[in-house]
Amino acid sequence: MRRRRSDSQRRTDPGLTRVTGVSFILLAMLPLVILPLSSIFIFGLSKGAGHFWQALMAPAALFSLRLSLMTSAVATACNLVFGLIAAYIISRYQFRGSNALMVVISLPTAIPTAVAGFALLLLWGRSGLLGQFLEETEYQIMFTTAAIILANIFVTFPLAFGVIKPALDNLDRGCEDAAETIGASRWQTFRHVVLPSLREAILTGALLTFARSIGEFGSTILVSGNLAMRTQTAPLYIFTKFNEGDIEGANAIAAVLAILSFVIFTLILIIRSRLEK
Amino acid sequence: MTDDKGAALVVDGLCKRYGGEMVLDRIGFSIAEGEVLALLGHSGSGKTTTLRLIAGLEVPDAGEISLFGRRVERLPARERNLGVIFQNYALFPRMTVAENIAFGLRIRGISRADRDRVVADLLGMIGLVEQREKYPSQLSGGQQQRVAIARALAYRPAMLLFDEPFSALDPRTRAGLRREIRSLLRKLRVPALFITHDQEEAMELGDQLAILNRGHLEQIGTPEEVYSQPCTEFVARFLGAANIVDVVISGERIILPGERWLPLPAGMPLAAIAGSPRLVFRPEEVELGGTPRLSLGVGRVVEISFSGPVEWLTIALDGLSEGQILIKACRTRWESGSCRPSQGDLLPIGLKSFRVLGE
Repeated sequence: MRRRRSDSQRRTDPGLTRVTGVSFILLAMLPLVILPLSSIFIFGLSKGAGHFWQALMAPAALFSLRLSLMTSAVATACNLVFGLIAAYIISRYQFRGSNALMVVISLPTAIPTAVAGFALLLLWGRSGLLGQFLEETEYQIMFTTAAIILANIFVTFPLAFGVIKPALDNLDRGCEDAAETIGASRWQTFRHVVLPSLREAILTGALLTFARSIGEFGSTILVSGNLAMRTQTAPLYIFTKFNEGDIEGANAIAAVLAILSFVIFTLILIIRSRLEK
Repeated sequence: MTDDKGAALVVDGLCKRYGGEMVLDRIGFSIAEGEVLALLGHSGSGKTTTLRLIAGLEVPDAGEISLFGRRVERLPARERNLGVIFQNYALFPRMTVAENIAFGLRIRGISRADRDRVVADLLGMIGLVEQREKYPSQLSGGQQQRVAIARALAYRPAMLLFDEPFSALDPRTRAGLRREIRSLLRKLRVPALFITHDQEEAMELGDQLAILNRGHLEQIGTPEEVYSQPCTEFVARFLGAANIVDVVISGERIILPGERWLPLPAGMPLAAIAGSPRLVFRPEEVELGGTPRLSLGVGRVVEISFSGPVEWLTIALDGLSEGQILIKACRTRWESGSCRPSQGDLLPIGLKSFRVLGE
């Protein structure tokens, strides 16, 4: 669509500035983001789709994907429940230190993931603060699936809370008052009035937590032991295969994770745009 | 005080503070069964706080609230069985019109078939049968408020509380909905408390009128009583226009500035008008021309304005050393008859009736 412009407009053509601006962004992103991502797919398909498929169908590869999906799902469920309860309590009850509590809840994202993993080792490891008591029992947390879940919970802890809390703050309190006068209990009000209004926020929080969880590496490598077919998550599989020189194997899982992230963030954008309507 | 027996609601000595500020100071009133009390006051007068205390959304600092003889001030809102209609409707945004109306029945465990029947009846009553499956955001303000009323009526509450239900609506919708609610309340005979800052609304809807001013209850009575016999200057000014003139009581006379006087009504207790007495009369109580029984002497017409059904006159009682007293008069075209003064004319001024207020 081109419109005729007057001379004065042409002299400071906003169209030209816009094109230059957008070109700059794309040019800067090309070597930094776009090319690296594209190379995963270019490499993956360079030897034909058959090779790619074979690498993906390797038992250890499929296992690592399943383990990542499962541990991320459990961590997401835990942090969603916690985030919802914490957001409701902090948003609906007034108490001293609520701001400090919010800082503490948000802290885990600020901590380097390797530090988080190390901290978990110090707590649950063989001579750890709590781990030493487990030593006498048959139970073991470190280097098991439970350790991966704990690490995922730790590094994604405040994500769901961070999305749900502002949504709750913006909810009209009048609806809750109305439900109460109609005769609803606290739980009925929460279940029938508050929760449906938080649908988008809960979904966004879940997707963010899941996306962040599924790519978690720094803490997982420390606490999982990276045992193939036992505690090797998808990012650890990529790392291990690369170290072994199996570039195709690493690349197949990398492509799947990249597509998964892309899908998740597209979903988040769709939900956001629905919310803004 | 009204007889508390057979009262739907009795409020006594109700106090509420926010921070250090006294929002309600020993409020007391009662509502008889089937009666509507309109609680009238400016914003910040404490009227919404009164409603929230009765509804159970706030806890009073002191005082008693009884619903049908049962003390409720510590009872949670959900156990009071009241229907509250909020200023901003407070409909549940993720429920359809039908689901909103059925909510009270649903949480009471009423069967689906019974719920549907009640919802259909109420939708017919509020004239929104076709909007059944719509969401609140798809309705106009007036429609939303109708749904809110239906939602409150669905579970047959013992009493209805209206919190400025029309203030977010345009004047035309407001007038229409006001008439609907009036006939609805007459029909259902549900006791109701109606909160408003609009005196016309209060007088039209209330069997009783209570005037709240900065947390104090100034006066309570029928709209007629409160309008024609205001107890305080605030009430006199709040309900329509009022002329208020400082006077001195001397013997049997009420002395106005400028050597004008009126006879002190027989039987008026002097104690009631101790302090600084003021003469209060409404614009329609001013008599123009002729030979008025309660004469104020001669006045000069300063301004005449015409506002449809009535004509407003500003009249100066002058010839005073300390300036002039301006009074407002109003009359219908029919009343004006042969007396049609123009600006600057002098004519005899009198009063049909008046009151004297003390401190």
